[in-house]
Amino acid sequence: MTFASFLRARLAALSDLWSRIWFQDRPTTPLEITRIGVGIALLIHYALATPYLSDLWGDNGWVPRDVAITNDPWSLSLLFGVTSPWQLAAFHYVFLASCVAFILGWRTSWVKWFLLIGQISYDHRDPLLFYGVDKILAALLFIMCLAPVGRAISLDRVRAVRAAKRKNLGATLPQFTSQWTGACTRLMQIQMATLFFYSAVSKLGGNDWWYGDAVWYVFTTDEHYSPILLRIFASQYWLVNLATYGTILIELGYVFLIWQRATRLYLLALALFLHAQFALLMGLYYFSFTMMMGHMGFVRPEWLTNLGLAWKTKIGAMEMIYDGRCGFCVRSMVWFLAFDGLQQIGIRNFRIDPSPVVSDEKMEKALYLVLPDGRALPGFEAYRYAVLRVPGLWWMVPFFYIPVLSRAVGTPVYNYIASHRSQISTIFISAQRGA
Amino acid sequence: MLRQRLTHIAMSLFVTWQTLAIVVAPAPGSYLSDALRTVMQPYLTLLRLDSQWDFFAPNVGEGSRLRYIVEDKDGRQHTFNPAKQLSWFHPNYFWVRGWYYAIMDDPEIYADAAIERFCKEHAALHPVAVTLLEMQEERFTREDFLAGKDRNDPHFFNARTIKHAQCPE
Repeated sequence: MTFASFLRARLAALSDLWSRIWFQDRPTTPLEITRIGVGIALLIHYALATPYLSDLWGDNGWVPRDVAITNDPWSLSLLFGVTSPWQLAAFHYVFLASCVAFILGWRTSWVKWFLLIGQISYDHRDPLLFYGVDKILAALLFIMCLAPVGRAISLDRVRAVRAAKRKNLGATLPQFTSQWTGACTRLMQIQMATLFFYSAVSKLGGNDWWYGDAVWYVFTTDEHYSPILLRIFASQYWLVNLATYGTILIELGYVFLIWQRATRLYLLALALFLHAQFALLMGLYYFSFTMMMGHMGFVRPEWLTNLGLAWKTKIGAMEMIYDGRCGFCVRSMVWFLAFDGLQQIGIRNFRIDPSPVVSDEKMEKALYLVLPDGRALPGFEAYRYAVLRVPGLWWMVPFFYIPVLSRAVGTPVYNYIASHRSQISTIFISAQRGA
Repeated sequence: MLRQRLTHIAMSLFVTWQTLAIVVAPAPGSYLSDALRTVMQPYLTLLRLDSQWDFFAPNVGEGSRLRYIVEDKDGRQHTFNPAKQLSWFHPNYFWVRGWYYAIMDDPEIYADAAIERFCKEHAALHPVAVTLLEMQEERFTREDFLAGKDRNDPHFFNARTIKHAQCPE
């Protein structure tokens, strides 16, 4: 073997290793969990800021504009261009609406960028508010902007599935995967591991952590003062040492062991436990929840797949029997099934494939849902049963489960629609042609 | 094929850059990190990625509490501990403290506006002047606790006058 061919072989091996580390074909599901969690955290956090808008970001607030605008040309904020309270309010409400859209995964590909720009604008406009959680948010939001989030557990996904099912009701859309998703997931993992690494090693430079006293002093500060905990710790000081050293061990252990298949689940659990303690004992709810969402980058897609399969097995197979001759019925099915991300509900068009469980005569009057135990539920009851057992339809549960009222209104409404479905179908088709 | 290869190279270059940014941003000063930072700083500032992860590090450190004294027209003094009203369950617990720390750390920028605000807030007292104080916490050890001392005992604070100013007419 010549040196050139040896070099070529080594480079090829390195390139292959690089691709296996960075560019594995991955689904977006772990990042979607981060997306939903970060969106919820941002929405609650900034919604609670609404009564304090002028104090926090207004010209007559805590930070005058000329103080916020520094000499750094890269410290930019859209809020530097806001000159009146109504503009600030408009910016704020558009930001909150973007949070909602981000949570729901609606038009995610551009909403996420507005969220990032909005968050940075808030940070640069009032740097006094910038603390730990905002640091991690900036990092996570940027990675999510880079990643193709919104491809799963989202209204964007529902829209895509609906488009496929309009052509063929039985169509299924494969799970979105890409190498770039793998790269973005890896970036998020590196971000979290780096954060924990620097957090741990910077602590080791101080006597409070080295001698195991840090947790005691945390709870003596004004921000986290807790006389109850101090009373417990004073009499059981070993708890302070355990918590202090435990924090460093978890942070350091995470950096090295989170990557291993055998230890990832345990380190994830420990990290989540650590943040739960920060939330409950130190009042750092927003920070802890955001950090937990960052850790979701280490959730293996196979865990989520297995969770989905376990759920499907537990609930059992359901079959929805519908009238394929009724356009309105088919469109309703398209709309309904687009939310069935786990594909728990099978379908049968009784016109071409009669059901052995429900007679055609019954099918002329209502749609039916055949349950795993062989029972068949008609109409409104069918939908009511399904929405509780299909995660994508859980948002409809409040409408179907208002005591007395849901059935009192839902059943007659369904029966009316079912008995007039041909006319309704005709009206819809005419309306579409007119449009 | 060429397009695929170029895309792969572009993706590789970006992830390398971003990984460097993640690692360099919190890195302590050194010849190498300072050199990298010179190149990366605009990117880090623009995207708010220039963050340290030194929570309660290297030591927990003692905090400070803002107090202010409102002097009314009869010469009586009313002392306020503004942070006491804040609740853990609302994010203003940290926002407002951030403002208080700014008043204590940069009084030349924030103190006057704060005094004006407190004067307005306590208009019912007919304030004449406000004095801003920083109550610097001293260490409160386990031994102090076991000796029956209270963390909020004045013995554990050093008071520093930040600013005294008249209320606007």
